[in-house]
Amino acid sequence: MLAYLVRRLAWAVVTVLGVLLFLFVLFFMLATPDDIARKAVGEKAPQAVLDQWKANHGYDKPRVWNPESPGDTMLVEHFRRMLTFDFGNSDADDTPIGARLWSGAGPSLAFTVPLFVSGLVLGISLSLFIAFFRETYIDRAGTVIAVLAMSVSTLLYIVGVQFVLGKLLRWFPISGFDSSPEVMIRFLALPVIVGLMSGIGGDLRFYRTVFVEESSRDYVRTARAKGCSEGRIMGRHVLRNSLIPILTGVVMQIPFLFAGSLLLESFFGIPGLGSITVDAINANDFATLRVVVYIDSLLFIVGMIATDVSYTLADPRVRLG
Amino acid sequence: MKRRLGAVALAAALALSACSNNPYPDADDSRAIFYTFFDDPPKTLDPQIAYSVVDHSVIGNVYDTLLQYHYLKRPYTLMPGLLEEIPHPEKQADGRVAYTLRLRPDLRFHEDPCFELSTPGSRTREVTAADVAFAFARIGDPAVGSPVLETLVKISGLREFGEKLAKRRTDDASFAALRIDRQYAAIGGITGVRVTSPHELRLVLDEPYPQIRFWLAMPFTSPVPWEAVATYDGREGRDLFAEHPVGTGPFRLMRYDKRSRIVMEADPSWYGARHPGAPGTVYPSEGAREDAERGYLDASRVGKPLPFLQRIEYWREKEDMPAFTKFLQGYYDLSGIPKENFDRIVLEGGLSPAMAEKGMGLAKAVAADISYLGFNMDDPVVGAPAGERGRKLRQAMSLVTNADEFKRLFLNGRGIAAQSPIPPGIFGYDPDYRNPFRKVDPAHAAALLAEAGYPGGIDAKTGEPLRLNFDTPATDTRSLLVFQFWVDAWRRLGIDVQIAATSYNQFQDKIRRGAFQVFQFGWIADYPDPENFLFLLWSGMARTKNGGPNTANFQDPRYDALFDLMKARDDDPERLRLIGEMRAILERDCPWIPIIHSEGYALYQPWVAPPKPVGMAFPVDKYRYVDPTLRTKLRAAWNRPIRWPAYALAIATVAVVLPGIATWRRERS
Repeated sequence: MLAYLVRRLAWAVVTVLGVLLFLFVLFFMLATPDDIARKAVGEKAPQAVLDQWKANHGYDKPRVWNPESPGDTMLVEHFRRMLTFDFGNSDADDTPIGARLWSGAGPSLAFTVPLFVSGLVLGISLSLFIAFFRETYIDRAGTVIAVLAMSVSTLLYIVGVQFVLGKLLRWFPISGFDSSPEVMIRFLALPVIVGLMSGIGGDLRFYRTVFVEESSRDYVRTARAKGCSEGRIMGRHVLRNSLIPILTGVVMQIPFLFAGSLLLESFFGIPGLGSITVDAINANDFATLRVVVYIDSLLFIVGMIATDVSYTLADPRVRLG
Repeated sequence: MKRRLGAVALAAALALSACSNNPYPDADDSRAIFYTFFDDPPKTLDPQIAYSVVDHSVIGNVYDTLLQYHYLKRPYTLMPGLLEEIPHPEKQADGRVAYTLRLRPDLRFHEDPCFELSTPGSRTREVTAADVAFAFARIGDPAVGSPVLETLVKISGLREFGEKLAKRRTDDASFAALRIDRQYAAIGGITGVRVTSPHELRLVLDEPYPQIRFWLAMPFTSPVPWEAVATYDGREGRDLFAEHPVGTGPFRLMRYDKRSRIVMEADPSWYGARHPGAPGTVYPSEGAREDAERGYLDASRVGKPLPFLQRIEYWREKEDMPAFTKFLQGYYDLSGIPKENFDRIVLEGGLSPAMAEKGMGLAKAVAADISYLGFNMDDPVVGAPAGERGRKLRQAMSLVTNADEFKRLFLNGRGIAAQSPIPPGIFGYDPDYRNPFRKVDPAHAAALLAEAGYPGGIDAKTGEPLRLNFDTPATDTRSLLVFQFWVDAWRRLGIDVQIAATSYNQFQDKIRRGAFQVFQFGWIADYPDPENFLFLLWSGMARTKNGGPNTANFQDPRYDALFDLMKARDDDPERLRLIGEMRAILERDCPWIPIIHSEGYALYQPWVAPPKPVGMAFPVDKYRYVDPTLRTKLRAAWNRPIRWPAYALAIATVAVVLPGIATWRRERS
C-alpha cells in the first residue's frame, strides 16, 4: 500500500502543478490586472490610484517573462505563494486571505458536520428500514418519496423551508449565525433541515439499492436459515458488507466539509467558506478565488486518496497496489 | 422500550416548545438597539479611503467629521462638527485662498490600546490639529491610495508631498521602515497644511475652491490618530487599520465581522455626552417647512441629547427575501422594498392597508443623483464634428426616450424624470423647469431627424441607413432589457442602434480611445453643490483629453467660462442665473439625455420614530429613536409559534409506519 500511496502522491503533485498553471492562465491571462484593479479601487478613482493599487498588490510586474529579473514575474509569484501557503491579501479589501479562510472554516464546519453526520445516520437508518420492509408499501412509498425529493431543486427547499418553518410556523429564525453554541443551534436548524431534505432522496435511493442487493446474497440466506434475527442480519451483516460502495461517496465528502455550501450559506447568512467564495465572485476578488479553487483541488485530491485507503480499512480483502 | 420512546417524545415536545424565530437574545429586548441589515460588506473602514455608502454607514458613526450637515434643514445646510465654526475663505496676496480650522477643545479619541504607543498606560488622548494634518497627509500619501487625492490637489503642496514621500521610500529603505508619523514629519509635511496651535490648523489652497467645505463634512478629512495607523498594520496577527477604526464619533465599533455582523455601541465618553448642547449633540429643534407635520420635530425628541440608541446591529443578509421576511416579523427596524413585493406593500404611492394596519411607516427620498444617456461629442456622427446635423440628431433621439415609461416599467414608478443634470435638493434645481427636448414627441423627433439629413433614419446623402452603437460594460439581463428599451424607441424613429455589450475593461478602453457613440451612465453627489454635477460636462474633465468623468467629452468655451464663474460663488441669485445659462447650453447641445433622479422607498416599524430621508450618504444613526417596549410587545404578538403541525406530523408518521410493521410481522410469522 505504501508504494501505491507514494505513486498517488507523486501524481497529486503533478495534478496540483497543473491546477496552478491552469489558475494562472484563467486569472492572469484572461483577466488583466487593470480589470482587477478597477474593480477594487472603484469607478471614481483616478488612474494614479489604480496604478498605485497594482503596485501594492504586485500586479504591475511582467506576467510571464522578465528579462531583467527572471524570478520577478507574476507567474513565479503565483506559484511561490500557493506552494508555500502564503496566500497574501484579498484584492477586494486587502485582508489576509489565509486568516479569512481560516475564520470561515469554523462556521462552515458548524453547519456541514451536523448535516453530514445527521444525513449519514438518517440516510442509512431510513434505507435499512426501507430495505428491511422491501416489497411492502413502505418500500414503494419510500422509493416514490425519495425520487420526488431528488427532483426538487435545493433553491425551492430553501424558499419553502424558510417560508413554512420560519415565516408561517415561526419555529426557527429565517437566517443568521452566532458562534455561541446555544444560539447557534437555533440558527443552524433550517439550513441543516434543508440540507437533509435536498440530500436524503439520492442517499435513500442509493443506499436502499446497495442494501437490497446485499440482502439477497447467499450469506444472508444462510444467516437467516441459521435463525439469525432480521434486525441482526440488517444491522450487522448487511450494513457492514455494504460499506464499500457507501464509503466511495461518504469519504469523498469529508474534506469538502471545510468548503461549506455556496447556496445554503448565502441564503441562511452563515459566514463560512461558501459565503466567502460567493463574496469573492461578486467582488471580482481574484486573489481569494484563486486560493479557494486551489484549496478545493487539494481537498479533492485528499478525498480521493482517503477513499482508496478507506477501502482497505473497510474490507481487508482489498489490496492497493 | 416504551419508557425510552416516551422520553424521546417528551424531549421532542420540550424542544418544540423552546422553538422561536427570534434571532436575538431575550436580554436585548429592553435595550434601545437599532437592527438593520447590509448586503455587500464594507470594503474598508479607513476614513481616508472609504467611498461607498456601506463603508460610510459604519465610519460615519465611528468618526466625527470636521463639519456636518443639519439633519432636517433643506437644502442641505452645513454646521460645525469637530470644528468650532465653519471656516471662511481668506484671499491671499498671491491669489491663493486660506482657511483657518479651529478644533473644539476637549475632543477625545475612543479608548483603544494603540495609544500605549505614544503614552504608556494611556487608552486615549485629546484630538489635536496635528491629527487633522495627519489625515491630510494620508490623503497625499500615494501608498494609502485615497480616491480623493486628485480632487484635493488644490491644497498647496499636497501633490509634491506625495511625490517626495514616494521618492524617499524608493531611494532609502531605512526611511521606508520609519514609523508613519516620522516619515511624514521627515518630509516636512504639506506646505498648505500648517498646524499653528494645538487646536488650530491653516489650510491653504492654490486656487479658490469653495467646495472644500463639503470635503470637511466627509470622513476623508476626519482626524485620525497616528498611533492607530502605526499599530494596526495587519502584521503578526495585528488588525488592519482598515478594519480597526479609532475615531471620535458617537458610536464605537465593538464587533466587526463583516461577513456576518457589525455592532456599534454608544460611546459614553463621546464629546456630545460630555458637552451637551454643542452643535449636532442634541436633536434639532428646527427643520424644513413640512417636518413638524411629518413627525420629525416630535416634542419627545427635540432638544434631547444624542444619540438615542444604545447599540446598532448590522446583520448580513445576502438575499432580499429572508431579510424582508425578518423585517415583516419585526426583527429589523428598517427595510427597503424588494421589487417582487412592491405592489403588495405600496399602493398608489402610499402603504397598502395591510402594512398600514401593522403600524408601519413609509419614508421616501429622492436621491441627489442623475442617470443619463450620453453621446460621445468627439464622434463624427453624433458629436460636435457633425455640427448642426449632430445636434439635431441628438435632440431627435432625446425626444423619443420616455423616462416616465422607463420609470413605470423598471423602477416601480419611483423617481423623478430628469430635465437637467441637477437633482432635487441641490441649489439650482428648478422643479418648474421643463427641457423642451425631454418631452416625448415622435413627430417633432422625425422632423428633426429629417432636418439632420436622416429622413426616416436614412442618410439622405449616401442612401445608407443610420447605424449607431450603444456601448456598455453591463451584460446582465436586466441592464440589457433597459438598453433594449432605449434602442427600441430609437428604432421606431428609424435609427438602427446596436447594443455593444463588452467586458468592463474593453468598455473602458473604448472610452479612453473615444471609440464609442452612445452610453448610459449615472452620478451620485459627493456633496450637495451644483458644481458636483455641472463639472461632469466641463472640458477640464473631458475623458479623452484629461481622463476625467466628462465621458461625453462635451467642450463648450461659454459653458466652461460660466462654470468657472459659478463654481467660485456662494449660493446667490447670480449663481442661479449662471446655472440657468449653463442649463440652456446643455438643453440646446444635448450632450446628455437626462433620464431619472432615483427615489428610494424605505419601510420602518411602528416602534421607530419617523426617520427623515436624507438622499445622501451622511450619517443619521445618532438621530434614530426606537421604543423597545412597543417592539417587544408587537414582536411577541406577530411571532407566536404554531406547534400543532409538528404533533400532527408525528401522529401521521406513526399512523403510516405502524400498520406497515404490523403487516410485515404478520407476514413473517
